[in-house]
Amino acid sequence: MLFASMLIKLASQSSNTNIWLDILEFVVAFLSFFGFVLTSAIILILAERKIMAYMQDRVGPVHTGPWGLLQTVADVGKLLMKEDVHVGQADKTLFILAPSVFLGPVIAAFAVLPLSPYVGIPGTALATGIVYYVAMSSIDVVGVIMAGWSSNNKYSLIGGLRSAAQMISYELPLVLALVGVIMLTSILANSGLGTIAVRDIMTFQATSAYPGKGLGLFDFIFQGFTPWAWFFLQQPLMLIIYYICGLAETNRPPFDLPEAESELVAGYLTEYSGMRWGLFYLGEYGNMTIVSAIAAFLFLGGFSGPGVAFLTGLNNGGWGLLGNLLAVGYFVIKVYLLCFVFIWVRSTLPRLRADQLMQFAWLILIPVTLFNIVVTALIYLVMNALGSPNWLFQIVLGIVNFAMLVGFIYIVGRATTATTRRAQAPAIRAQRRASAAGQLPERAGAGVVGGGQK
Amino acid sequence: MVTKQPVGSGIPGASSDTSEGIKSQEMLLNMGPQHPSTHGVLRLVLTLEGETVTDCTPVIGYLHRGIEKILENRPIMGGIRYMDNADYLSPMLNETAYAGAVEQLMGLEPPRRAQYIRLLTNELQRIASHLVAIGTYGLDLGAFTPVLWAFRDREGILSLFEALGGSRFNVNYLRVGGVLHDFPAGWLKQCEAFLDQLEKNMMELDRLLTGNEIFESRTQGVGYIDQQQAIAYGLTGPILRASGVNWDLRVNRPYMAYREVAVNPQIRQEGDCFARYMVRMLEITESIRLCRIAIDKMPGGPIGTRTPIALRPPRGETYFALESSKGELGVYFISDGGEYPWRAKLRGPSFVNLQILPEMVRGHKMSDTVAILGSIDIVLGEVDR
Repeated sequence: MLFASMLIKLASQSSNTNIWLDILEFVVAFLSFFGFVLTSAIILILAERKIMAYMQDRVGPVHTGPWGLLQTVADVGKLLMKEDVHVGQADKTLFILAPSVFLGPVIAAFAVLPLSPYVGIPGTALATGIVYYVAMSSIDVVGVIMAGWSSNNKYSLIGGLRSAAQMISYELPLVLALVGVIMLTSILANSGLGTIAVRDIMTFQATSAYPGKGLGLFDFIFQGFTPWAWFFLQQPLMLIIYYICGLAETNRPPFDLPEAESELVAGYLTEYSGMRWGLFYLGEYGNMTIVSAIAAFLFLGGFSGPGVAFLTGLNNGGWGLLGNLLAVGYFVIKVYLLCFVFIWVRSTLPRLRADQLMQFAWLILIPVTLFNIVVTALIYLVMNALGSPNWLFQIVLGIVNFAMLVGFIYIVGRATTATTRRAQAPAIRAQRRASAAGQLPERAGAGVVGGGQK
Repeated sequence: MVTKQPVGSGIPGASSDTSEGIKSQEMLLNMGPQHPSTHGVLRLVLTLEGETVTDCTPVIGYLHRGIEKILENRPIMGGIRYMDNADYLSPMLNETAYAGAVEQLMGLEPPRRAQYIRLLTNELQRIASHLVAIGTYGLDLGAFTPVLWAFRDREGILSLFEALGGSRFNVNYLRVGGVLHDFPAGWLKQCEAFLDQLEKNMMELDRLLTGNEIFESRTQGVGYIDQQQAIAYGLTGPILRASGVNWDLRVNRPYMAYREVAVNPQIRQEGDCFARYMVRMLEITESIRLCRIAIDKMPGGPIGTRTPIALRPPRGETYFALESSKGELGVYFISDGGEYPWRAKLRGPSFVNLQILPEMVRGHKMSDTVAILGSIDIVLGEVDR
């Protein structure tokens, strides 16, 4: 499907005005994206089970297909064939609608993401790229609340309300973390106008200056692929904060309170079964993909990689196609590397408590992101006043931001220990007072208790 | 810490008016008996004000099998098998308590080798039980990996038991006056190898959980019990020692081989969930040490005294208690001189320790309910019996 999409794009480039070809291009691109989200979800589910199994000294699924590769396919097949169960007294309309409301925006959010220079819905040209993505990811919460409310179940209700609070709180630091990157684009653009289109932000991470310019091999590797200019080197703290917020947005551990198994059974999913449940599940993994994809575009240079820009720049059909395939490959590798961190985090960390979650967002993440915006602006103003070039500014910004990253880790560690120490203080004080009475007094007639020692 | 919450009347379903004139209502949440983290079929009726728990009523009895009544209707040797099912995570300890009570009534002293075998198996069982406690505690807090690591290590202990008694779980290994079999060839070597491996694995588990900021902030200062409260509620075991009370039956009322082997009781002063977790972690290390001592000092000789198949203890009553993985496990035994016990009563530590749950969760968040319940480490088989 992806390949077909590329071919059509190629065709429409050569013959530029054909409305039917445009429509066909759109349909095929849309289908390929739809397929990408669902396939990616299925692959991620399997990957998660396998990777977590490896980390936990298990083998994971092995029986379905070679090495258990068909496990998720079999699971989806089972879910499709299950009876569609409704809860009595549930709000039926909302109950049925909720999974679609959850999954729809996830797929829609992909509209702003190009997969390669050729493959992309026309929406990739949308000037409001990031804002659109943020808007779409906020609509998810409506589906969760609908599910929680309509299930007529107290666990679901608590789960739905928790997720509402959580997703709305983490939206703010998520956007604020992206503001740093957008500021960078406006600084780097000589016109002074930045961009919030995903594709354009990616191009800002490729500098025209690279070693060995003009030599064939160096051109092939470094044209459009300059990892030292990627924004994660200049804003590493923002990448990490964006990633933390992404964890919270997708309800992944350690922020999976809405579906906290040990407390809320399954949260808003409790009453769902069959494919409706499956849609929520696919939506969650689709969300994971898109959070990782946005991070890849904004911080890790998108689909750029050795050979992409060079091959597509040759204006030759066959080489262009190869370049596009390479681009898709690099993009998928970057996305799945980030998804791997999701899985890694899940198998390592316990879950936060609801109030700690809120504290973390409002008292730590939002001030830090705001501080970063101020710092970025200040450094630019100072450097600009001194008349230094952009590359020097970028280096200074990177150094400052790495220092902030170290500080952030220190603050988080201190904040948690300080909170726990405060919580423990009365207990410890009481113990110190009572430590004189540490030993139980020997009772008379102790032989009766535990009489085995006679 | 238990904090006071502004609650309307305290009656479930009562509404209270906030200062803003918004009407809020308490919610009655039925947690269990089918719930992933009530550790079996415990039912908790929680009264929630938002996410804050204002009241909690444990409802027990869903796993009642009448074990005490069954014991009265079985020959004494046959009763040992049913003791396995009381605290199904530490059957060896249950059997030791039952056998110990009968021996005490009969004035029987098992041979030294049998006593050391009992010590070794008891300590292995304690490790297994604590591993389950720690692993599932991680799961209660949302960490998925510890439980699988803990069960992997526990599997080694179950395999050792299988080699020893023929059964993994309900071992049915102890007998009045001794044990069923001697070690199979090479068993002690296997056991030592396992202990070495376990020590490494425990260090790994410790690195994963203990220093984790989220784990610390979820457990430290949560579910605090002070010393007086702990003693007043009759708590025993790791919970009591986590509140700073130095009380361990293996030390204070030594029985069997514990009279010859010195145990270092593990005590923490904080009295919160983290302290209880730490006590269990430290006790595993201590148990590994005790196992090694038992293997080193393992005396020769018979593994049991000859007793008639139809045991007839003399008329009388006795109470024998030992330090189980969860606390003081006591067996109160009355004999009328016949082949069957006239009465056998268990003092289950889980049952007694569960009493303090409502006191501890009041004022905490709903998520903490699970953390606190997990830190008590109850086994419903022993609570309901």
